Amino acid sequence: MNEITYIGEHIWIGKIGNGFVVLSFVASLIALIGFYLSTKNNEYLKFARNAFYLHAISVLGIASTLFVMLFNHYYEYQYVWQHSNNDMPMHYILSCFWEGQEGSFLLWTFWNVVLGLILQRSLKNEWEAPVMAVFSLAQVFLASMIMGLYLGDYKIGSNPFLLLREHPEFANLPFVQSPNYLEKLDGRGLNPLLMNYWMTIHPPTLFLGFSATLPPFAFAVAGLWNKKHHEWQTIALPWTFFGILILGVGILMGGAWAYEALSFGGFWAWDPVENSSLVPWLILVGAGHVMIVNKNKGGSLFTTHLLSIGSFLLVLYSTFLTRSGILGAASVHAFTDLGMQGQLVLYVLTFILLCVALLIDDALIKISYIVLSVLLGYFTVIYGYKKIAFYIWTVVSIGLTIFSYKRYFPKEKDEEELYSREFWIFLGSLILLLSSLIITYFTSIPVLNKLFNINKAPLKVEDYNLWTVPFAILLLILMAAAQFLKYKKTNPNEFYKKLRLSFIISVIFGLACTIPLYFLKDYSDANRLQKWNLLSYTLLFIFGVFAVLANGEYWLRVLKGKISKSGASIAHIGFALILIGALVSTSKKQTLSKNTSAKKVSSLGEGFDDQKSLFLEVGDTLPMGPYLVTYEGKERIGIDVYFKVNYFTKGTDGKPEFAFQLQPKIQDNPRMGKAADPATKHYLNRDIYTHITAADLNITNPKDKDAYTTPKNYVGHIGDTIFASNAIIVIDSLKTNVTEKEYEKIDSLLEVTAVLKAFNANGEVFKAYPKYVIKKTMIIPQTDAIDELGLKFSFWKINPENGSVEITMSERVNNSKDFIVMEAHMFPYINILWLGCVVMAFGTLIAVIERYKKLKIKTDSIGA
Amino acid sequence: MKKIHIVGIVVIAVAIGVIITSLKNTTSYADFNEAIANPDKEYHIVGKLDKEQPLVYDPKINADEFIFTLIDNKGLHKRVVLHKNKPQDFERSEQIVIIGKMQGEEFHANDILMKCPSKYNDGKPQIQ
Repeated sequence: MNEITYIGEHIWIGKIGNGFVVLSFVASLIALIGFYLSTKNNEYLKFARNAFYLHAISVLGIASTLFVMLFNHYYEYQYVWQHSNNDMPMHYILSCFWEGQEGSFLLWTFWNVVLGLILQRSLKNEWEAPVMAVFSLAQVFLASMIMGLYLGDYKIGSNPFLLLREHPEFANLPFVQSPNYLEKLDGRGLNPLLMNYWMTIHPPTLFLGFSATLPPFAFAVAGLWNKKHHEWQTIALPWTFFGILILGVGILMGGAWAYEALSFGGFWAWDPVENSSLVPWLILVGAGHVMIVNKNKGGSLFTTHLLSIGSFLLVLYSTFLTRSGILGAASVHAFTDLGMQGQLVLYVLTFILLCVALLIDDALIKISYIVLSVLLGYFTVIYGYKKIAFYIWTVVSIGLTIFSYKRYFPKEKDEEELYSREFWIFLGSLILLLSSLIITYFTSIPVLNKLFNINKAPLKVEDYNLWTVPFAILLLILMAAAQFLKYKKTNPNEFYKKLRLSFIISVIFGLACTIPLYFLKDYSDANRLQKWNLLSYTLLFIFGVFAVLANGEYWLRVLKGKISKSGASIAHIGFALILIGALVSTSKKQTLSKNTSAKKVSSLGEGFDDQKSLFLEVGDTLPMGPYLVTYEGKERIGIDVYFKVNYFTKGTDGKPEFAFQLQPKIQDNPRMGKAADPATKHYLNRDIYTHITAADLNITNPKDKDAYTTPKNYVGHIGDTIFASNAIIVIDSLKTNVTEKEYEKIDSLLEVTAVLKAFNANGEVFKAYPKYVIKKTMIIPQTDAIDELGLKFSFWKINPENGSVEITMSERVNNSKDFIVMEAHMFPYINILWLGCVVMAFGTLIAVIERYKKLKIKTDSIGA
Repeated sequence: MKKIHIVGIVVIAVAIGVIITSLKNTTSYADFNEAIANPDKEYHIVGKLDKEQPLVYDPKINADEFIFTLIDNKGLHKRVVLHKNKPQDFERSEQIVIIGKMQGEEFHANDILMKCPSKYNDGKPQIQ
C-alpha cells in the first residue's frame, strides 16, 4: 500500500509536543527518585532539583506547544480540531485549551509546577526533600495522564498531540484518504454552552485550588516521613489558607456561573461534580483550623494529619469520579470516559498506600503491607477479581491505619477542657469532616452501585438540603463562639456574658425576620416534614445572624478593629452571610410562572404540585406573580435566538407600567443541540430569573402568512384526537364505498373516507373528509381542507396490522401565533450570598497574608 | 470515659443515622414491573423513547404536561405522563431516566434526565 503524502500538515510540532510529554514524565520520575534519595543523603539534592526544573520546563513546553497549535488552527491534531474552530475569537482560545480532559490535566500539572517551584525555593532544610518527593510523585501520575501510550491492552493517558487521522474513532473515515483534507477542514469548536467569560476564569481558579491542596498534603506526609509531627504545620499554614481561598473562590465561581448562565434554576444543585470539589474544600477548612490549634497549643495531632491528607486524597477521588465516566447519567457535567478508569484508580490508591505505609513504624509490617498491595494489584491485573482484591486491600489498609495510630502515633496526654478554644475548633473540624464524609457517601452512590451490585438512585437536592441544615447550624454556633474562648481554659460565666448581647440581638432580629418569612403563611398548611424544615430554617437564620454579630463584635471590640488580625472574623462573617443568603434565596424562591389554567396534579403527591411553566403568545398579556408579562417577539443573532419578554408592574392608577425587559435565549447549535440560557433582572433585594423551556426557533417571514406549514403526520385510530393550534380534531369514523369482497371482485377503485370533526375554542364543529383512494395498486390520497380554520388534511395510509390510519395535517401559518413557554423565578436576597462570597474571600486573603508574614518573621529570626 | 470518646460515638451514631434514614428515602433504579408492583413508591426508570408512539405536548392546554411512551430495559412499553415541560432536544435522547410513580396504566413522572449522545462528543471531521 502506498503511503499518502498529506499536504499542509505540521508534523514537527506534534513531535516537539510529544518530546516534551515524554521528557516531563521521565524528569518527574527522576526528580522523585532524586528527592527520595536526598532524604537519606543530601548530595543528591542538587541533582533532584535539576530534574524537577527540567520537568517544569517540559510542562511549560507542552503547554506552549499546545497553545501554538490552537492559535494557528492546526486541525490535523485531534485536540485542536475537537476544541477550536476558525470563527473563534482569540480570547476563547484559552478556554479551548482546558475544555478537554487532556488540557485540563495539563492545567493542573502546570499549577502544581508553579506551586512546586515556589515551595522548593522557600524550603531550605530537611523539609525540601520529602515535600518535593511527594510533589514529584503527584507529577509522575499527572504527566502519565497525557502520555497516550499503549501497554498491551492498557492505555496509559490520553495524548493531546494525537493526529486526527490517527485517532481510533476517525481513522477509517473517508477524509483520511484525501491528501489535501486540511485545506477544507474546520474545527468542531468549543461547546457553545461554555463560550462565556466564566469558562476563561473558572477552570484555572478551580485547578489552582486543586493544586493548592497538594502543599498541605505534602507537608503532612513529610511530617510522617521525618517523624516530626509538629514542625511542618507552621510552614504549611499559609499554604493551607491559600488553598482555602483559591479553591473556595473557584467553587463559588462555579455556582455563580451555574446561576447566571445555565438553566439549573439555582446556584447549587448538589451535582456530583460540584460536591466533589466542595468536599476537599470543607476538609481543607477543617485542616487549617486544627493546624492553628496545633500551632498555638498542641493537640488534635492525628486529626491535623488526617484532614491535610484527606483533602488532597479527596481531590484525587473527585478526579476519579468526574473523569472515569463512572457517574454516567448521574451528572450533567462529568467528562466523557477516555478509558482511563484503571489509571485513575491507581492514582488514588497509590497515595493512600503511601500514607498508610508511612504511618507504620515497624519496617517488617511496612514492607509486608507494600508487598501485599503490589501482589494484590498484580493478581487483579492478571486474573481479575477486582472487587474482592479491593475489599481485602481496603480492610487491611483501614486495620493498619488504626493499629499504627494506636501503636506509634504520639498522643496528647491531658484531656482538653470543655470550655477551651481548641476543643470547640476541634469539634468544628469534626463536623466539617462528618458532613464531608456524608456528602462523599451520597455522591459515591454510582460507585457503590458498581462495587456492591446494587441500584440506588442518586439523592435528590431536597434531601441534601434537608440534612445539611443541622450541620450548618452547629458550625455557625461554633464559628460564633469559639473565638471568645481562650486556649486551655476559659471561665464559662465570662464566656457566656461576652456572647450574651449578640445572642439576644440575633434572636430578636432573627425572629422578626423569620416569623413573617416562614410562619405567617407557610407553616399552617405544611406537613410534618415541611414544619420541621421551617423550624430548622429559623434556627439557621438566627444562628447565621449570631455568627455575623459575634464575629463582628470580636473584631471590633476584642481585636479593636485591627485589619491585620481580622482575617478569621471577616471570613467567618462571609461564610455566615453565604449561608443566610443561600437559605433565604432558596427557601423563599418563588415560582412566578405558575400556569393557573392547568389542571392540578398535586393529588399525585409531592413533587407533582409545582407547576412551573407559563404559556405566552405574542400580543397576550398575562399576570405573573406581582407582574404582568408580554412576549414581544424574537430575534436571531448567529446561533442564538433571543426572546424578548416585557415585565410590567401595576401602576398607581391601575394601569400597567413598563418595568423591564429580559431577553432569555436559546442557543440553537447544529452540533450540540439546543440549550436554554436564562436572563436575570437584578435588584438589590431580589433577582427575577427567566428562562425559555419551549419555543419555535424558526423566524417566519410575515409575507408567507397565507402559506401552510409543512404537514405533520399523525397515527391514530377512530376516536383519537389531533391537536391543532386552534382546534381539536377527532377522527370520527371511516367510510368505504365498497365492501372488501366487492373490492376483490371488481378490482377497481377503493375509496376510504375519513370523517374528521374539528372543534374550535368556541365549541363550533367543522368537518373534513380527506380520502384514501386505491386504484389497482396505486394510492391517491385526496386532500380536504377546512378553510374557516385554515387546516388541511391528507389521508395517506392505512396500517392493516393494527387498524390505525395515518393522516397529515398542515396549518395556515398565521393560525399559530408565535409563543414561548417560560419559567420565571424570584430569588429574594440572593445578593447576601454574593456579598458573603466576596467578604469570605477577602477575610481569607487577609488571613493568608498575615500567616505568611508571621512565618516570614519566624524563619528570618531563626536565620538571624 | 474521655469527652473525646463521647464526641466520637456521637459522630459515628449521627453518620450511621443519616445514612440509614436517607437510604430508606432514596429511590432505586428499577423497571416498570417493579413500579407496577409498588405503586406508592417512587422509582427511577431507565429506558428509551418509543419512537413509534406519538409525543403529546400542547403547551397551550398545559405547558407542564408532556406524554410519551418509554421502553424500559426489559422491553416493556408504558405511557409516561411527565408533569413538566417537554425538554429541549427530547427526540435526540439516547437514554432517558424518569423519576416518579406508577398510577394505573400510566407512569407519572415529576422529573426526567436525558443522556444525549451529542452533548459533548459529537461530530465527525467533514470536508465541505
